[in-house]
Amino acid sequence: MANTELTELERDVANMIIEALELEDITADDIEPDAPLFGDGLGLDSIDALELGLALQKRYGIRLDSDAEENREHFASLRQLSALVAERRSD
Amino acid sequence: MTSSQRRRTTRHWSAISESGSLGGIRLMLAIYDRFGARAYQGVLFFVGLYYWLRRPIARRASREYQRRLKTFCPSVSLPRLTTVRHFTTFGTAILDKVLALYGRIPPESIRVEQRETLRNAIDSGHGGIIVVTHLGSHEVCQALGRLRRDLKMSVVMHTQHAQRFNSLFAGIDRPLSVEMIEVSDMGPGTAQRLQARVAEGGFVVIAADREPIETGARRRWIDFLGRSAPFPEGAFRLATLLRCPLYLLVCARQGQTHHVHFELLGDAGTLSRKAREAWMTDTMAHFVTRLEYFCCHYPLQWFNFYSFWQSEQHNVRPPH
Repeated sequence: MANTELTELERDVANMIIEALELEDITADDIEPDAPLFGDGLGLDSIDALELGLALQKRYGIRLDSDAEENREHFASLRQLSALVAERRSD
Repeated sequence: MTSSQRRRTTRHWSAISESGSLGGIRLMLAIYDRFGARAYQGVLFFVGLYYWLRRPIARRASREYQRRLKTFCPSVSLPRLTTVRHFTTFGTAILDKVLALYGRIPPESIRVEQRETLRNAIDSGHGGIIVVTHLGSHEVCQALGRLRRDLKMSVVMHTQHAQRFNSLFAGIDRPLSVEMIEVSDMGPGTAQRLQARVAEGGFVVIAADREPIETGARRRWIDFLGRSAPFPEGAFRLATLLRCPLYLLVCARQGQTHHVHFELLGDAGTLSRKAREAWMTDTMAHFVTRLEYFCCHYPLQWFNFYSFWQSEQHNVRPPH
């Protein structure tokens, strides 16, 4: 169980992740906002990354640049991803 | 598995230099231009012999492949000095790849076996994934892009690995309709780009018969020529994400003719989420069956010169 409170937007983004990837037995509160989404943290892989890219566009209308490095930063953690959504959402 | 373990045991294909020296390819191209195909083939035999002597890993891989192939389809006829021939055939394929990328494959030497399927795939506007393999030289099909200007392709490949090969083409103008994407850059941004490509009726070209580079990347163990080998899920998974049809494209040589085989392997267009896994299983199995078929049909044209099967012993199988 995470000990950090999620903001409303973070919870929304967390739910998008859970739904898009059909993560079982996980709720938004189980995701640590600052833990890495990929690798050690939530344990997502490169295919999940593709799926998240599509989900992000569908849900928030965000078009990502193809700069891999920049996207890596945006997708580093739930908090960072939420920051991207706050800044760029066009839904 | 750590990279040091991997080095100690079998070398991963991405660690093995692919194309020989760039100077060598240039020289061979010059010989071809100056003295013609016959001279090229003559010199090629010695080049093949040289690599046969100098590349024990590739030599062993070639032998292993032929052994499995013979057991799998006993009727296959292999020439004498099979391994050397395998190498020289690869040399011919390299020339074809080079000529194709320079746009110098004469369209009349290309024979599309399933013309209808190809035409329908392009005209339907649904786009799709095109799975390619290391059998033959799929680059020849980029010549199709020159024939059909409306055929738009994004080719996902390990460009860093083939960089030296690609630097041959630094000066030439690729058809605008062909875009190259580095496989290790694949991420959320690329997914959107590929989705846009398919949405405009274009195609994403991706190889499916090499173990994925990324450690922990999803792969499936499927029986190939009698023994299980690791096949990457990437292309198939991508089809389920982009909800589009998935085709197999094989372009192999027989004499002076390039035979293009273009088949529908499966359609993920109307697939429900629940049905994804079963679809992946079926479609990947179907793909491997077709690859086996083409290996039996063009026995010396599968150019995967690393131990495709052996890695099984050194990889920990995923628990599920």
